[in-house]
Amino acid sequence: MSEEMELKVVDLKKWFPVRMGVVSKLLSRKTKYVKAVDGVSFEVKKGEIFGLAGESGCGKTTTGKTVLRLLEPTSGEIYFQGENITRLSKSEMKHLRKKMQIVYQDPYESLNPRMTVYDIISEPISVHELADSPAEREEIIYNVLKDVELVPQEEFMLRFPHELSGGQRQRVAIARTLVMKPSFIVADEPISMLDVSIRAGILKTMLRVGEAGGISYIFVTHDLAYARHICDRGAIMYLGKIVEMAPMDILVKNPQHPYTIALMAAVPIPDPRLEKARAIISGEVPTPIDPPSGCRFHPRCSRCMETCRVEEPALCEVESGHYVACHAVG
Amino acid sequence: MPILNVQDLRMYYSTLKGDVKAVDGVDLEVEKGEALGLVGESGCGKTTFALAIMRLLPWNGRIVGGKVLFDGTDIIGIDDKKFDSDYRWKRLSYVFQGAMNALNPVFRVGDQIAEAITLHEDVEKEDAMERVRDLFKLVGIDPNRVSSYPHELSGGMKQRAMIAMALACNPDFIIADEPTTALDVIVQAQTLQVIDRLRKELGLTMMLITHDLSVVAQTCSTCAIMYAGKIVEYTDINTVFEEPLHPYTKALTSAFPSIKEERRELESIRGAPPNLLNPPSGCRFNPRCPYSMKICTEEEPEYKKRGGRHYVACHLLD
Repeated sequence: MSEEMELKVVDLKKWFPVRMGVVSKLLSRKTKYVKAVDGVSFEVKKGEIFGLAGESGCGKTTTGKTVLRLLEPTSGEIYFQGENITRLSKSEMKHLRKKMQIVYQDPYESLNPRMTVYDIISEPISVHELADSPAEREEIIYNVLKDVELVPQEEFMLRFPHELSGGQRQRVAIARTLVMKPSFIVADEPISMLDVSIRAGILKTMLRVGEAGGISYIFVTHDLAYARHICDRGAIMYLGKIVEMAPMDILVKNPQHPYTIALMAAVPIPDPRLEKARAIISGEVPTPIDPPSGCRFHPRCSRCMETCRVEEPALCEVESGHYVACHAVG
Repeated sequence: MPILNVQDLRMYYSTLKGDVKAVDGVDLEVEKGEALGLVGESGCGKTTFALAIMRLLPWNGRIVGGKVLFDGTDIIGIDDKKFDSDYRWKRLSYVFQGAMNALNPVFRVGDQIAEAITLHEDVEKEDAMERVRDLFKLVGIDPNRVSSYPHELSGGMKQRAMIAMALACNPDFIIADEPTTALDVIVQAQTLQVIDRLRKELGLTMMLITHDLSVVAQTCSTCAIMYAGKIVEYTDINTVFEEPLHPYTKALTSAFPSIKEERRELESIRGAPPNLLNPPSGCRFNPRCPYSMKICTEEEPEYKKRGGRHYVACHLLD
């Protein structure tokens, strides 16, 4: 491994216990688990934008939160800049929190409605004691607002979230993470709640500050069309597992896993002249409480074989940097 | 003759701060058998426009002016009873936004759809249920699911049930309001396929309301682009993507990423959609328009025919 790794995740699992009723408990039935993330391994290189894509319920957001230790992993290891952070205590994590941040999906809910933009951005400055004087604090806030294009800054500082548009709120959420000068940000569907005409602007800002600050991103998304244009590498998740992982270009042009192929074919294309009758797989994603045996995709797969029902396929490298978990491939 | 002909429709919401001009002078024609896509960002008035046609406006909404001619009859002018017995659901129906929440959780799905039938037509409950089973088959749900409760259905199935409900009284015109927005891509593609098949099989005329141009590209034959309560461009679907004339349409089409093209820098439109309490004077797009001229801030551009079935409202073309 010659390239520097920002984040490395090995066999990460996050299971949530299903709440049981009194009767089930008395009969001492086995606790069931929602296996939201069930053994994923991947790496994010320094300065890279890594896309984590899949349908709702596939575990992409849980993965994003677990690697930041906002959720405690059930098992597996997380390495951040070479250091194993899986079992660090809360106070040890606090120092790292500055470096690893998250931007949430919904800027209407992630900002406190009673705090002004100034308060929202100055909170991490106080928590991490980033400023020595009020003047310095003001300067940091002033600069970060400029970075996220909320100018004139004096005017935006004193506003409350309800006085901002959706795009401006998301810019505040980004500014709040940037004051800590993070080196790694999990962006959890940062544009899905925003209007189409302003989405690209938010993404551009994220990319620009990312490049300037050498920030690596995990971009969690269900929208493959956007992922295609901003991610360097991507992984497709299905029911808590990564089924395919490759540089974004290969992933869209030469997908190998039957699920990835189906997903790519279902993405609507803004071109009316393109062939409309496409093969679309039937059915919907099953529940992650009792996922299908063997390969989790086998009940919906057109290339399903006997082995697929019993044996779980491992993620294998089919060509340089291109990993697929499928018995029918490679 | 167009099946739906909207002339200068104006619809305002009264609020404490004044009138919100959600729909402010819309002209639109839909020919029989056509699939029209009504595209716009959130808050541009597209849902209000559709609700006005269905006469389902909330208490603080009112129609200020204009006509909606459906098959030649002005359905805004006729009285409520007549509209209810002859038009709503029988000729015009509506697939509501957010199928996840549009069904009543405490009633069986089949009963809810049968209710729509018994309300509008003089049929027995059993016959209505039989029709619901047929409708379920038509939209691709197992007919035995009529006795399921909404929480027992998946998101895609609920959306199909909503489509079945819209088809319950054999309408000729369907308005589908963001029918796939909350769905995952694969289920979205499945649902769009069902809508497309039904439209062709049943000879329906459809108006699809969405913010997603790529959905329109794959399902509609004509397209109207709405901005801040007005239609800024109306033309056939190929022209929208290949030769758009209005700067907003141009910006919107290039803001849409395609998974098929090479990686590129995405375009955005500066600024944000205006507040309709106090929309900008002149052309409403002028504060965000890269080609804005003096006249654009002073005078509202006329919505004019620019050859064929291509209508645009922009001073640049005059």
